[in-house]
Amino acid sequence: MPYIKNPTVQKDMRVSYSPTYTFFGAEQMLRVRFHGRGGQGAKVASRVLGTAAFLEGYCAQDFPLYGAERRGAPITAFTRISREPILERGVISEPDMVIILDETLLDDPQANPVSGIKEGGIVFINTAHSPAEAKDKHKVAERVITLDITKIGLDMLGLPVLSTLAGGVAARIAGIEEDSLRKAVEKEASAILTDEKLITKNLEASLFCFHAIHSLEVKTTEAIGKESPVIDVPFEPALISSPTINTTGNTPLRKTGNWRVFKPVWNYEACTKCMTCVARCPDGCIAMNEDGFPYTDYDNCKGCLICVEECPVKAIEKVREVHT
Amino acid sequence: MNMTLIKSIKDLPAEENLFPGTPTCAGCGGLLALRHCLKALGKKTVIVNAAGCFTLLSVYPFTPFQNSWLYTAMACAPAGAQGIRDALDILIKKRRLDPKEDLKVMVLTGDGVAYDIGLASTSGALHRNLDFYYICSDNEAYGNTGFQSSGATPFASRTGTTPVGKTSVAGSILPKKNLFEIWRSHNPPYLATISPSHPVDLINKFTKAETYKGPKLFINLSPCPAGWSTDPAHSARLAKLAVDTGIWSLKEAIYGDVRHTVIPRKFKPVEAYLKEQGRFAHLFKPVRQEDVIRKIQEMVDQYWNGIQKKDFIPA
Ligand code: SF4
Ligand code: SF4
Ligand code: SF4
Repeated sequence: MPYIKNPTVQKDMRVSYSPTYTFFGAEQMLRVRFHGRGGQGAKVASRVLGTAAFLEGYCAQDFPLYGAERRGAPITAFTRISREPILERGVISEPDMVIILDETLLDDPQANPVSGIKEGGIVFINTAHSPAEAKDKHKVAERVITLDITKIGLDMLGLPVLSTLAGGVAARIAGIEEDSLRKAVEKEASAILTDEKLITKNLEASLFCFHAIHSLEVKTTEAIGKESPVIDVPFEPALISSPTINTTGNTPLRKTGNWRVFKPVWNYEACTKCMTCVARCPDGCIAMNEDGFPYTDYDNCKGCLICVEECPVKAIEKVREVHT
Repeated sequence: MNMTLIKSIKDLPAEENLFPGTPTCAGCGGLLALRHCLKALGKKTVIVNAAGCFTLLSVYPFTPFQNSWLYTAMACAPAGAQGIRDALDILIKKRRLDPKEDLKVMVLTGDGVAYDIGLASTSGALHRNLDFYYICSDNEAYGNTGFQSSGATPFASRTGTTPVGKTSVAGSILPKKNLFEIWRSHNPPYLATISPSHPVDLINKFTKAETYKGPKLFINLSPCPAGWSTDPAHSARLAKLAVDTGIWSLKEAIYGDVRHTVIPRKFKPVEAYLKEQGRFAHLFKPVRQEDVIRKIQEMVDQYWNGIQKKDFIPA
């Protein structure tokens, strides 16, 4: 069985080289699915992996799936890598490998990032937890690799933007050479960034993630599906086929609090009850308690930090969110 | 006229008619303004929403609204509003609806619809003197599809379709359309610009608008972290900077008669507003484009030089 030799991860992020051995059989394909939140960089990560594979001589295909997404909402992106021209199209519903940029997506039934993963597949989760902890916590049956790339992003770029970092992780797991990754990051980062310094920082962070992962074996799977079923969609009258929502104000069930990287924390000793934060929260999450002090609905606060920025007496602090 | 105008943010209506948990980007300036608009309009309003960022507010099976909400294609929201207004009027006439139970009808669109795709149907509704509200959330491009330029895109902004190239170093080479003046030429009873950084001004404008029958239109400048490439935390501050630099003038027009509701005592240079935004970053890096920055400043100065003191009404 052809396979790609591949990496697992190290929880403590010690840098470790493992010679990767890549072998794609002619009929084999590696299918990778990325899950992130809009703005986090899943789309560029899939592109970095695709470009790196292409530069290494493979055929590659990468694309994002845009639906009703905004920054912060779940998004998906895909990469296919093969020795032969890729004829397969459309979303990847049975990936060999899943890269999850945001741990909270594992609890989102609409995102469902591990759905359809092939037996023996690999799941990478961006988290501070060890693989064993993450496996247990999220009830993932497949092989799990973890690394806190949000922390690496904040430390090395100053931003929680994970595109080139997740690209580095994915390239390592897919058994891509360091040099191809380097060229891919340079190419893709300079297509979207003008700041030379930021491009360099992205390259460094990407390579750091690449090396923070151990080697392990990942199987590729059959290149082309045997049948491509055409689905018949029956005609339905508008009353049935168009959705109607017969309720009011139920979006709080979505719990957009999962989007936060930082959270606002109030210091009532400094607060003057001026109401500025209440007036400035776009999502209307802030209300006043019985004593006239503001508090937010952490289930839904998106962590935009407008309240922190606008408080005239700096009574709100920005604290790194750890989703437990 | 019997109106209670408010003076401070402590007087803002406490009721929240727009619930949290929406799919809009963190720090969306348009959402912040809409939240205040719905405080003013209340629950007894039907929203007719043309395709855009805000149609994502109600994605089956979720809605953040207390209101009825109808989704239309980009070009035809005012036509949808006409249909609802007519239906309500007929029900009242046939005594099947108590006039006390009447609903307001509000059109909600982005700038792509207001400035471009839906301009004709709005003109028709204004011409017919349709009794409705129109809120345009203007983030100065097609934000929902990846920030392509629209008729609202200002000169020198980078967008998906006006990239900074080797020959066109400025980004967009076209100026922003003046929608306020296009709408004003129809002489609607009430027309105003609003900003999420000035909620008191915003609420008072709705209070005034309510006293008129016919079209009541609002254009909000909506800082858009995703499209403007700005820090979500800066949205309220950027909205205020737009007002303080004179780039966004807060005003109203009653039957075409224009008055400014906020005039900054001392105008900040436009640079203060531009340099904070990724969509204008090319004006400062790698080389400073002095002539472009000066041209933007001149456009703003020219506007305000034409404004007389008498045109100002303190809020
Ligand atoms: S961080 Fe943003 S969403 Fe959260 S409470 Fe503050 S203003 Fe509201
Ligand atoms: S803005 Fe600051 S001082 Fe004012 S109510 Fe909020 S926390 Fe208190
Ligand atoms: S793209 Fe811009 S206008 Fe649209 S939801 Fe996001 S921040 Fe708001």
